[in-house]
Amino acid sequence: MLTRRDIIIKWTTICAAALLLQLMFSLLLGGVAILGVHLFLPPLIVGIIASLEDTHAGALFALGCGVLCDLVLPGLFPCLYTVAFALSALACSYLAKNVVQPGPLCSLIVSALTFGFVDVLVMLSLALTDHAPFVGMLSVALREMALSCLLVPACHPVLTYLHKKFTL
Amino acid sequence: MKHFFSKYGVLLLVVTVLLAVLLSALSYFSATSSILRNAMGVVSTPFRAAASGVTGWFEDKRRYYADYSALVEENQALREELAALRSDEQQAQHDREENKLLRELLDLREQRRDFVFESAKVLEHSASNWTRTLTLNRGTSHGVAVNNVVVSSEGYMIGIVTEVGLNWCAVQELVDTDTEIGALVFRTGDVVIAEGDFALMQKNRLKVTYLPPETALLVGDYILTSGLGGYYPSNITLGTVERVETDDNGLAQYAVLAPLVDFDALTEVFIIKDYEIVE
Repeated sequence: MLTRRDIIIKWTTICAAALLLQLMFSLLLGGVAILGVHLFLPPLIVGIIASLEDTHAGALFALGCGVLCDLVLPGLFPCLYTVAFALSALACSYLAKNVVQPGPLCSLIVSALTFGFVDVLVMLSLALTDHAPFVGMLSVALREMALSCLLVPACHPVLTYLHKKFTL
Repeated sequence: MKHFFSKYGVLLLVVTVLLAVLLSALSYFSATSSILRNAMGVVSTPFRAAASGVTGWFEDKRRYYADYSALVEENQALREELAALRSDEQQAQHDREENKLLRELLDLREQRRDFVFESAKVLEHSASNWTRTLTLNRGTSHGVAVNNVVVSSEGYMIGIVTEVGLNWCAVQELVDTDTEIGALVFRTGDVVIAEGDFALMQKNRLKVTYLPPETALLVGDYILTSGLGGYYPSNITLGTVERVETDDNGLAQYAVLAPLVDFDALTEVFIIKDYEIVE
């Protein structure tokens, strides 16, 4: 059982690690487009943490990340990431507790799942407001998801190490 | 599964809905940017500037070594273009004098275009695959407002300011799907609409629609802002026509517009804060 002090230290460290991962990603791959798409890191972090941690804690982290992304990043509507990350955290947690054991494969699946939630909301929004073609949107979404998931081997060990260090 | 979601989902859903409503309401009722977004923008501006500086330095080095042969070719092409422009300039000088003389004879007021510019540095190119925005290091404290036009050093249109914070602003690039600007064809004077398109956005292009039936657009035709409605200044170059196509239902035509700006290479831009045009 973690004390309140332990919990604060744990989540401060996890948030700092997430920010550091994002910063390193921005510096190394921030402006780079591969196969015509930019990679996107936040869904990976949200999905992996939701699969590793307790459902409530993972969902609260996802909500925080969602609000932060909505406040900092350009989005198609003001609460895109808040809604997508919260729902995906719940789904990722269910998946990790009932379907796939947490591990590299689970991290890959939950990352793809989180991208799925974000992309479905984005595509719905674009289809309704700009009548964007479905095939074009799907192509971008799949390329973004597939290429961003290549970053799972970089994120998974860091977040798993922190989870084990503070939990076990 | 039902038990899982009833145990964990309801509270989370309530909190999510409350946050979503709060964010949407703050965004809806704000004329510049919501108070939270403004605060986050101010806090993140130094970090964005630092990250932009580092990536910009690496990009400069990469381009320096990678693009040498391309630069030699470009230099040759520019020399040829310069020679052609010098010839045009001589003709233009003659036309200006003739124009001035005719204006005096007809007692016409002289055309005048006064722009108030604010130079700005690009802090961040959006890394989203769904929208195209730039973040600049100028905001309300420098007199920047929503709907200000952003142009390159050559005067080509880059986009429109859509959000302003204290020391930052977000610019919707011309090719973004939300773009919709009154435009005109320079050669014919026909009024058209320049609008973003998702498929074309991926190729840094946009659409020219509502072409009058009698309009025969040519590849290379210049498209300028029309200035109709007074939202944006007139005669700012948006780009050139790349090709003309028929839309999916086969009834109407649209043109694909290639902006004259390389959005990815932008580092310094100019915001038109105010303008007066007498024509």
